Amino acid sequence: MKNNIAIYTVFLLSTGLIFSSCKKDYGDLNHATVESFTSNATSSELNNLVSGTESGLRNNLALYLDVVGIIGREMYHFSASEPRYVTDLLGANDATLSNSNFYITNTWASRYAVVKNCNILIEAASNSKLITSAQKNGYIGFARTIKAYQLLMCLNQTDSNGIRIDVSDPNNLGPIVGYDDALTAIASLLDSAKTDLSGADIAFTLAGFGNFGDAAGLTQVNRALAARVAVYRQHWDDALTDLSASFFSLTGNFNMGVFDVYGTGSGDQLNTFFIPQNQTGEIRLAHPSYAADIEANDDRIGKATLRTAVASLNGLSSDRDIWVYTSSTAPIPIIRNEELILIYAEAEIQKNDLADAVTALNTIRKAHNLPDYSGIVSQAALITEMLNERRYSLFCEGHRWVDMRRYNLLSQLPVDRAGDDVWTEFPLPVSEQQ
Amino acid sequence: MGKLFLRLAGLICIIALPCFAFSQTKTVSGKITDAKGMPVVGASITIKQSNQGTLTDADGKFKLNVPAGATLVIGSAGYRSQTFKADDIAADAQIKLEEDVAHLDEVVVTGLATAVKRRNLANAVATISSKELSGVAPAQTFDAALEGKIPGAYINANTGAPGGGISVKLRGVTSVYGNTQPLYVVDGVFVDNTGTSAGVNVVTSALANGAITSNNAGGTQDNPSSRIADLRAEDIESIEILKGASAAAVYGSKAAGGVVIITTKRGKEGKTKVTLSQDLGQISVRKLLGVRHYTDANLAKDPAASPSFVAAFQAAEAAHLPFHDYEKEVWGNKGFARNTVLSVSGGNAKTNFYFSASQKDEGGIMKNTGYRNSSLRLNLEHHLTDNIKIGVSTNYINSSADRGLTGNDNAGVTVGIALSSTPEFAQLHPDASGNYPNNPYAASNPLQTIALMTNNESVNRFITGLNLEAALQKSRTSVTKLIGKGGIDFYNLETNAIFPGVLQFQAVNKGTSIQGFTKNLNTNYILSLVNIFTPSDKLSLTTSAGLTQETGDYNNLLNVATQVIAGQSNVNQAGALNALQTRIKYQNEGLFVQEEASIIDALMLTAGVRFDRSSNNGDVAKYYAYPKAGISWNLTKMNILKGDLFDNFKLRAAYGEANNVPAYGSKFTAFNISNIAGNPGLIVNPQQGQPDIKPERQREFEAGIDFSLFRGKLGFEFTYYDKTINDFLMQASLPSSSGFTSAWVNAGNLRNRGVELGMNARPVESKTVTWTTSVNFWLNRSLVTKLTIPSVPQGSFGYVLGSFQIQQGKSATQILGLDGTGGVSKLGDAEPTFQMSTYNEITFFNKLSLRFLLHWKKGGQNINLTNLENDFGGTSADYDNVTNKAGLPDGFYRITQVGSDAHEFVQTSSYLRLREIGLYYSFTKLPVSYVKAIRIGVSLNNFLTVTKYKSYDPEVSNFGTGFSSGVDVDPYPATKRADFHISFDF
Repeated sequence: MKNNIAIYTVFLLSTGLIFSSCKKDYGDLNHATVESFTSNATSSELNNLVSGTESGLRNNLALYLDVVGIIGREMYHFSASEPRYVTDLLGANDATLSNSNFYITNTWASRYAVVKNCNILIEAASNSKLITSAQKNGYIGFARTIKAYQLLMCLNQTDSNGIRIDVSDPNNLGPIVGYDDALTAIASLLDSAKTDLSGADIAFTLAGFGNFGDAAGLTQVNRALAARVAVYRQHWDDALTDLSASFFSLTGNFNMGVFDVYGTGSGDQLNTFFIPQNQTGEIRLAHPSYAADIEANDDRIGKATLRTAVASLNGLSSDRDIWVYTSSTAPIPIIRNEELILIYAEAEIQKNDLADAVTALNTIRKAHNLPDYSGIVSQAALITEMLNERRYSLFCEGHRWVDMRRYNLLSQLPVDRAGDDVWTEFPLPVSEQQ
Repeated sequence: MGKLFLRLAGLICIIALPCFAFSQTKTVSGKITDAKGMPVVGASITIKQSNQGTLTDADGKFKLNVPAGATLVIGSAGYRSQTFKADDIAADAQIKLEEDVAHLDEVVVTGLATAVKRRNLANAVATISSKELSGVAPAQTFDAALEGKIPGAYINANTGAPGGGISVKLRGVTSVYGNTQPLYVVDGVFVDNTGTSAGVNVVTSALANGAITSNNAGGTQDNPSSRIADLRAEDIESIEILKGASAAAVYGSKAAGGVVIITTKRGKEGKTKVTLSQDLGQISVRKLLGVRHYTDANLAKDPAASPSFVAAFQAAEAAHLPFHDYEKEVWGNKGFARNTVLSVSGGNAKTNFYFSASQKDEGGIMKNTGYRNSSLRLNLEHHLTDNIKIGVSTNYINSSADRGLTGNDNAGVTVGIALSSTPEFAQLHPDASGNYPNNPYAASNPLQTIALMTNNESVNRFITGLNLEAALQKSRTSVTKLIGKGGIDFYNLETNAIFPGVLQFQAVNKGTSIQGFTKNLNTNYILSLVNIFTPSDKLSLTTSAGLTQETGDYNNLLNVATQVIAGQSNVNQAGALNALQTRIKYQNEGLFVQEEASIIDALMLTAGVRFDRSSNNGDVAKYYAYPKAGISWNLTKMNILKGDLFDNFKLRAAYGEANNVPAYGSKFTAFNISNIAGNPGLIVNPQQGQPDIKPERQREFEAGIDFSLFRGKLGFEFTYYDKTINDFLMQASLPSSSGFTSAWVNAGNLRNRGVELGMNARPVESKTVTWTTSVNFWLNRSLVTKLTIPSVPQGSFGYVLGSFQIQQGKSATQILGLDGTGGVSKLGDAEPTFQMSTYNEITFFNKLSLRFLLHWKKGGQNINLTNLENDFGGTSADYDNVTNKAGLPDGFYRITQVGSDAHEFVQTSSYLRLREIGLYYSFTKLPVSYVKAIRIGVSLNNFLTVTKYKSYDPEVSNFGTGFSSGVDVDPYPATKRADFHISFDF
C-alpha cells in the first residue's frame, strides 16, 4: 500500500502542476466586443460604429413598411408561408394583434438595436481621448439625431401605448412614456443634437446622406426630422421654423433628401421590399383603392403597375404590384423634400395661411401631371387634399396609417372583408410588459 | 502537457513493473458450450481474486495453469457466470453456460476506468446489443436505430430526409437552451454531434436560430443531419446508456444530457472469421396526406376562393387540362437502398483485430435526394507484455447526403410550402425542351426545384481512439493499473447548396450558390490510476483517480454567392458574394477520484467526486465540484431472502451531479459586422454578454429494485429517479428596448421525475421454439421549480399558433396558446404521458428467427403547422368537409381560428408503431466447406403505425434537436423501408 500512496502522490502533484499552468480563455473569436470599444476608441472604430448605425437603420425596415402599409390599407403582402400578413394585421375574423408576434417584436427590436448602437457611439466618443472635441460633437450629434428618428418609428407603431426613452442602462431601463411625452422627448433630443452639430467636425462618411454628410447638412436633416415631429405635435410654428433650417425647397427636387441605401457588396443588404412585377406566391400588391381613388392622369399610378394576372389570397385580391422600389438596390427614403413640401402645406393650412398651402399643394400636383387644385379653399377641404397628396406622394413610405390616425380618420380606411379591423396601434412587445 | 504526463507514466511503469508467480500449479482444461451444445468463443476463465485468466478459443476450448485450491469464474457476455473449484474440474470438462436473460452478469462501465457487473450495479443502465441495434430491421441511420430501445429516453426523428437527424433526450429535458443531447463516447473518444447548417435559410428566409437552439452551431430550421449518424451500426458490439448524473457524473462537463457509451467490435482469438453481408431494400413514403379535389360546387361554398381562382379552375376544366396529384408526384419516389458490409476478425493470444469495410447507398422518396456512407474500420488490440495492453481503433467515414429543400420557410420556396398552395389543376411540368413554367399559385414550382437544385452535405471523417492499460503492480491482494484512453475526432464537412438562376424563386437573386466548409477537431483523454485491493474474499476496494481533458475547435466558413453565372457553382462565378465565418473553441478539464467497495459481493458502495472547469465559464480558472455516490444491496447474495423463488434480489440507490457548460461566447457582448456601400460597420449583437455566467448543475437521485425469478428466466427492474437542474441556462428575453433581445442567464431550477419499469423473460423454451421478450415502460414529468426571469413565450410562433413557455410551477415542456375564449391557456405538452416498448425474438428449430420491436408513445403534443399551411393554401384533402358548427368548409373554418384559437395546431402525437420486424433463417450445414454459414432474412422498418396525428408523421421536429422538439412545418415526410438480407460467414 505504501507503494500505492507514493504513486498517487506523484500523480496528483503532477496533475496539480499541469492544471494550474494551463487554464484557457479563448475570448470571442467571431466578433469585436463592446467592452473593447467603450474605453478609448480610435476614430476608425468610431466610424465603424457610425456605419453600423446607418446600416442598422435598414434592419427590418421592409417589415416596418409592410405592417404600417397593410394596416393603413395601402397594400397587401401575400405570402404562402406567412398567414399573419392577411390575418392578424388586417384583423381577419377574430384575429387581433399579438404582443409576441414578429410584426411588433422584430421591428421594435431592430429600432432599439440602433438606439443602443447610438448610445454606445455616444459613450465611446465621450470616452475617447484620440479625437478632438469638435469631432466628438459630430459623432454625438449624429448619434442623437438617429436615435430620435428610431424612437419616432417605434412610437409610430405603438402610439398611445408609448415607448421607452431612457434605455442607456440595459439593466435599469427608464419608464414607458406616453405618446405626448415621448414626442416631447424626441423633439428635445433632436434639439440637443442640433446644438451638438453646430460647429462640429464630421470625421466620418455616410452612405445614404449624399450632400448632407457634413455638419451643415446633418443639421438640415436634423431639422427636417424635427419638422416631422413638430406636425405630429401640432406645433405648426415650430414646423415652419424647422423647415426653414432644413433642406426644404418648394422648387427643389422632390427626391432631395437622405436615404437608406442598398448594395450587392459583401455583407451589404438588398432592399427586400422589392419584388419583381408579376410574381406569384410571395408578393406585395397595391390595395385596390389606390387605383380606384386616384385622379385621372396622375403619374403616381406608376407606383402600382398593372399585373398580367390578378393575385388573390384568403378573400383578398388585387391586380396591381407595388412599384415604388423598382430594384433590389433601390434606396428607401429616411426623409425627402416631397414630404417637407407637404409638411409645409400642412402647417400653413393649420395656421390658416391657405394661399401658401395651395401653392405648395399645386407644386406637388403639377409635378405629378395634375391640374392645379380647384376645390374649395377651406381648412377642412385642404386638409383632405393635403392628406390625399400625402397618400399618393408618400405611398409605401410608411405614412398613410400615421396620417389618418393623426386626423382621427382611421374609420375612413377601406375594410375588405366582413369582420376585418383597422388597428389604431400595436401593443407593446411582450418583453416590455414585465 | 500530454507528453509530459506520458513520460511520467512511462517512468512509473518501468519502476513499478512487477512479476509474480504462484507455486504449486495445476492445469485445468475444458470446453465451454451454450445450453444447446454450441461452443462459446471468447468466454473468460479467471482465477478469483487475481488478474489471471484465459479465453476460450474458436472451438470453445481452454487450458489454464491455476494454483491449487483456486476458484475459477467462468463467464461470457450474454451468459450467467459460474464459479467452480479448480479441483472439481475434471480434465477436458464440458461446461454449459446458461443464457443470461436478466443480464445480471453483464459488465457495465461505471467509472471512467472501472466496470461492475449489472448484478451489483447501483444505477439503471440500459444496454443495447448488436443484435437489438441492427439485427432486426435496419433503420435509416445509427441513431435512428436507438428509437424505442432505451427506457427513459425520448427519441425523435427531426425529419425523414436522407441522412436523418435525431434528437435524443434522456430522462426529460436536462436543459432549456443548453445542450440537451447526450454525449457519445466511441471506444473512449468523445464524438462530435454538431449539426451544421448548409445555409439554405438564405433562400428560405427561415430563421437561422428561430427555434430554441441546442448544440447546433448553424441554423436549426435548416434541418441539418446529426453527425453521430456517420457511425455504422454494423460495427457496434454494444451500447450502454448512462441516463443521468447519478451514473454519468464522472464524465463531467459533457454528461448532463447523459452518456451513450459505444463499444465497437473486437476480434476474438481463433480462426479468422470473414463475414460478407448484403442488404437490398426499398424506401417509400410512410403516408401521404392527400390533396383537395376541386369542383364548382365546393368552390362556390368556399369564401376563400377568389373569383380569379375559380375562373382559373373553370378554364382548366374547360380546356381538359390534366389534373395532377402533385403530393404523390413529389413524395412518391421509391428509393433503392443497398448496404454491403465486409468484416474480417480474428486474432491470437497476443493480438486481435477487427476490420470492416462497408458502403451503403440509399435513394430518397423525393427525386434527387439520397444518402451514401462508406466506412472503413480497423480495431487492433495487442498485449505488449502480460501486463501491458494497447488498443487502437480507427474509423474513416465518407458520407454524403442530398437532403432536398423542405421544412419551414418564409419565402414560399421549400417543396412542402410550395405544394401547400398548388392546386391539382396547376400545370407545372416542363415543356419538350425542358423549360419549367412558373407556378402561378406559389413562389416556386416544386417540380422545377427538385429537378434543378442541389443541397448536399458531405463529410470526410477520421475517428481514432487509443487505449492503454498497464498493470503497474500486482500482488495477491492488490492490483494497480494505469489506464489511458483518448482519441481524436476530426472531420471536414462540405455543404453545397445550389439554386440556379432559372428557378422561379431566383428571379431576384438570379442564382444562388452556398458553399460551406467546416473543419472540426475534438480531442479528449482520460488518464487514470486504478487500484483494486482485495484483502479477503469478503471485501474488495477499487480506488481510481485521474484527470481528463476535452477540447473542441470548430471552424465553419459559409460563402453565399448570388447572381451566379448560369451553369456555374463556384462562388467567385457570381455577381455578389457574402462570407460568414463561425468559430467555436473550448477546453474542459477535470480531475476525479472514485472509490468502490464491494462487501461479500453483495453490498456495493461507490463514492466519487469530480472537479471541472471550462473555458466557456465566466470564471475560467474556477473548479466546480461534482460528487457522486451509490449503494447496491443484494439480498439473495446475503442470504436474507432465501428459497427458490428469487434468483436474485437487489435494492439500489445512487446520487450524482454533473454540469453543462454555457454556450461558447455567452460571456461577451459582441458586435455584428455590416457593410453599407463599402463602409464596414459594427452594430451591437442582440445577445447581451454575461461575464459571470456559471455552468448549470444537474443533481440526480435514483433508486430501484431489481429481481429475477426462476433461475433468471424472468427479470424485473424498477427505477425511480428525481433529477433537478439548478441554475439552468436560458437565453432570457430582455425588454428589447434595451437594445438586446436576449442574454444567457442562469435562470432557475427545474426538475424531472420519472419511473422506468423493465421486464426480461423467456416464456417459452423448448427444443423447437424459444421466445425471449423484454418489455419496458417509462414516463417522465418535469416541473419548473424556480424561475428568476420573467416568463415569455419561446420559439417563433407565439401564442397564435402555439408556443413553448417556461413558467414556474409548470411543466418545462408545456405548450401555451390562444384558447378561443380570448385568453392564453395550456394546450399541450411535448412530454409523452408514457412510453412502452417490447422487443421479442422467437426462434424455431434454432434456425428460423422472428424478431420485432413494438413502440407505443402515449400522449404528448406537437405544434403542427403542416395542416395549417395546406388549409391556408386551400389544398388540404378534407378542406371541403363540413364538420364544424359554423357550417363553413373545414379548411376555411380552421383558418378563421388563427388569431383566436390555437387548439387546432397543438395536436396529440400518440402512436403505436411496429418499428422493426425481421425474419431470418440460418443455413449452417452447407455443401461447400469454405462457406460456414449463410443467413437470409427479410425485414420491415416503420411499416405499421397507428396514430390519429394529422400530418406526415407524429415523430417530427423541424426545429432540430434542442428543447423545442415536435414542431411540424412541411417536413420531408417520414419513410418506411423493406429490406432483403443475405450474409455469408467464411
